[in-house]
Amino acid sequence: MAALPQSLESSQEQLLEQDIADHVTLGQDAWRRLRRNRLAVIGLVIISVFIVSALISFVWTPYPTWRQALGPTYQGPTLAHPLGLDDYGRDILSRVMGGAAIALSVGVGASAIASFIGILLGLLAGFYRGKVDLVISTLINVSYGIPDLLIALVLVLLIGRGVGNIILAIAVTAWLGMARLVRGQTLSIREKEFVEAARTIGTPNAMILLRHILPNALGPIVVQATYLVPAAIIFEAFLSLLGMGIPPPAPSWGRMASEGYKALELAPHIVLMPCAALSLTVLAFNWVGDGLRDAIDPRMKR
Amino acid sequence: MSQPTTVTPATDPTIKSPLVRIEHLVKHFPTGGAFGRAVVHAVDDVNLAIQKGETLGLVGESGCGKSTLGRVIVQLQPATSGHVFFQDQDLTRLRGEKLRRIRQQVQMIFQDPYASLNPRMTVGDIVSEPLRNFRLARGKKAEQRVQEVMRVVGLNPGFVNRYPHEFSGGQRQRIGIARALVLNPTFMVADEPVSALDVSIQAQIVNLMEDLQEKFNLTYLFIAHELAVVRHISDRVAVMYLGKIVEIGPSAAIRDRPLHPYTKVLQSSVPVPDPDVEASRKPILLKGEIPSPVNPPPACRFHTRCPIAQKICSEVEPPLEMKESGRFAACHFAGQL
Amino acid sequence: MSSGTVHAVDGISFDIDRGEIVGVVGESGSGKTMTALSLLRLVPEPGKISGRILFGEQDVLQMADDEIREFRGNEVAMIFQDPMTSLNPVLRVGFQVEEAMDAHRRFTRQQSRERVVPMLQRVRIPAAKERVKDFPHQFSGGMRQRAMIAMGVSNEPSLLIADEPTTALDVTVQASIIELLRDISRELRAAVILITHNMALVASLCNRVIVMYAGRIVEEGPTRAIFKNPQHPYTWSLLRSMPRVDEVAKERLISIKGVPPDLAKPPAGCKFHPRCRFRIDKCFTEEPPLGEVDPGQLARCWVLMKNIQDPESEAMR
Repeated sequence: MAALPQSLESSQEQLLEQDIADHVTLGQDAWRRLRRNRLAVIGLVIISVFIVSALISFVWTPYPTWRQALGPTYQGPTLAHPLGLDDYGRDILSRVMGGAAIALSVGVGASAIASFIGILLGLLAGFYRGKVDLVISTLINVSYGIPDLLIALVLVLLIGRGVGNIILAIAVTAWLGMARLVRGQTLSIREKEFVEAARTIGTPNAMILLRHILPNALGPIVVQATYLVPAAIIFEAFLSLLGMGIPPPAPSWGRMASEGYKALELAPHIVLMPCAALSLTVLAFNWVGDGLRDAIDPRMKR
Repeated sequence: MSQPTTVTPATDPTIKSPLVRIEHLVKHFPTGGAFGRAVVHAVDDVNLAIQKGETLGLVGESGCGKSTLGRVIVQLQPATSGHVFFQDQDLTRLRGEKLRRIRQQVQMIFQDPYASLNPRMTVGDIVSEPLRNFRLARGKKAEQRVQEVMRVVGLNPGFVNRYPHEFSGGQRQRIGIARALVLNPTFMVADEPVSALDVSIQAQIVNLMEDLQEKFNLTYLFIAHELAVVRHISDRVAVMYLGKIVEIGPSAAIRDRPLHPYTKVLQSSVPVPDPDVEASRKPILLKGEIPSPVNPPPACRFHTRCPIAQKICSEVEPPLEMKESGRFAACHFAGQL
Repeated sequence: MSSGTVHAVDGISFDIDRGEIVGVVGESGSGKTMTALSLLRLVPEPGKISGRILFGEQDVLQMADDEIREFRGNEVAMIFQDPMTSLNPVLRVGFQVEEAMDAHRRFTRQQSRERVVPMLQRVRIPAAKERVKDFPHQFSGGMRQRAMIAMGVSNEPSLLIADEPTTALDVTVQASIIELLRDISRELRAAVILITHNMALVASLCNRVIVMYAGRIVEEGPTRAIFKNPQHPYTWSLLRSMPRVDEVAKERLISIKGVPPDLAKPPAGCKFHPRCRFRIDKCFTEEPPLGEVDPGQLARCWVLMKNIQDPESEAMR
């Protein structure tokens, strides 16, 4: 029964093996809660399906995404073309698959860049406060005052419309929220006792930021970054709808919808299919984001 | 106001080899929202000396400035004015790398064992971080040192890969102590180290701190609000009220014959786990509430609540002067309550 | 890990008479607060209570919902540790005291209104006439606790449950709240249950003591007997683990090794045996009953301190 660990020098107060709680890391704990969230799991499945089809589209699609006149234009779904053909007679299924690759790279790329900028500036502003904070916060507040679309459009006009440029244009408008979030988190975490403790043991500022503050803000950051993905996808679709997105013949969902829009009454499937794909992706990411939020911080849920 | 000839607690001749000497230390916080300008007098003109190898206890009620004093001493917060000499180096003048270096000698134990450990780091990482900060040990050697320290504080070294949330309050406090101990410091400020713990665990930590002091020749500043715990662990006790030290003296002398009325009141207020003593104990009840440190009363800060205050108490501030060898009190009528 | 039944309180029986002050002591997780909440049927969901709680002739567990509501405010009052969270921050203190009386219809509206200031004076809030109009944040911690006590006793309950009423307060304030509780219980001739982790507080205020550990009563008896002659090793060690403010020589504290058990998987046998310095083989397997060791004093232990020679040096080993 309860063998005492032998080699303890302070024999007065020994630790009993059984006193320790079950060994679960915070990450494992969060993952377990996420798995129990049905919508989040459905979201993950949907995202996986889109990721897989995007990956496949790089090597194979049922038909080349650009090939026209595969059959009658405006043709509805058939066995050969399950999602139908568009106004040029291109295969919509192939184009939706190719569009997934574009949507995901734009979404994830923009979210990654925006998160990087936002985290960096947010950490600096929150940690150093004073003048650093004043400069960064002013930048954020001024940028908030200018419509995102205006910034993105000007940027696209200046640097062009390639996928990389579109990602950059979206990221430049999307980091503000992340920076605000991280700044707030940093401001509150830097007052925690363990950060004070880190200072008393001589931890340099850079390590305090990386080792103590950032990991403890990671939960909300991951959630925010997840929400940024669908936001960027929608933004790209919107740019494409305005004709300022990724240039043809690349199969961007937004462009497909904008092209099909001319024949909405004649052949609604041309608009419907890419829009369905878009909505499904956006919803899936939002579900996963909600799930992550609840899993990482169970207190926020009720 | 202090002539060079006056003996203050910082120049107490009974302190033969002071490790820490605090002179005229002041800490004011700006406060007050829209109208600004208000200042919290958290620590006001504190003089203290801490003898090498002793435990100096610091007691006072919430808001008296005892925690702030501890934080200013270890330079977690800058002093408004005054000096903290540690082995003849003025900590208040140190900046950047020089200040970081001194942390190998001066360590702190925190009150809340739940908040003072980074929840994302394993116990091994937490305890070895100071070693990494000063590049004192790496790899196997660091591992050995961490295990050794864990053993010394009564933690099973097999738990290095566990996270803080897997431990109970008392065990977490041991982790915090191990982190402070790993650098082999000479001076430790312990800010309410047992207040957040269950009664049966408090004794474990108090005993551990006593053992460590003996084993490693540590000097403690032990801050707490419970007079009984402070008295038990300390050689000398300093009592704080509203930002000022009102009495300092040897632990036993303060128990037998407190000089300052506030010390007497504190002592009479603490119940004793003995029904016979309790039957006759009459606590001296104070009138009113503790005044705000934003607007402390003039002259003697205790005069508004003191049971023996006279006219002079609201007019002339009593200096904290030596009343007997090694005993200081800031009261015009010391020993008369 | 997250499912299963926790026996937070197990097989508790005790009674309390008018005018009596009973101390329930224990550490966090010992079940002392749960016991008190059970008396009021306030156990949080999904908690369950079984057994009988007799108040006079009535069984609290059998009462209908409206009966229990009347019972809570009129017959029993509860005072909590943190008065700030129990007072509504946006309502004036005086109004909240009045509301406490209104809600239970022992007094008419008019009577309630007139009783507010005297109630606040009774709990010795200075300048009560002016301060009835204050909001809780304008009160200090001690004043808020007084206001809570005023609300609690405004309906003249016959049972007052005080759950760590002074833990959040400074010692000098604590002393005055203890004096107040003592006087109030005398004036009302109410029974008082004081729930606390502080043994010294019990020594100062209570006639009888119940010591709880891991959801069980481990020792119970008249205050003097428990303090002078504790029979359960837990009580005995607890008393020696605290420094006394009047301690003469610096003695090493007797610490209780280990930590309290996880009630989701309590140890077999006596719940205290993993931490007990005086355990025998039987303690590992069989849980002792709560037996009478002296007239009026009960302890749940196979060993009992009176059977141990020189426990101090035994414990120091």
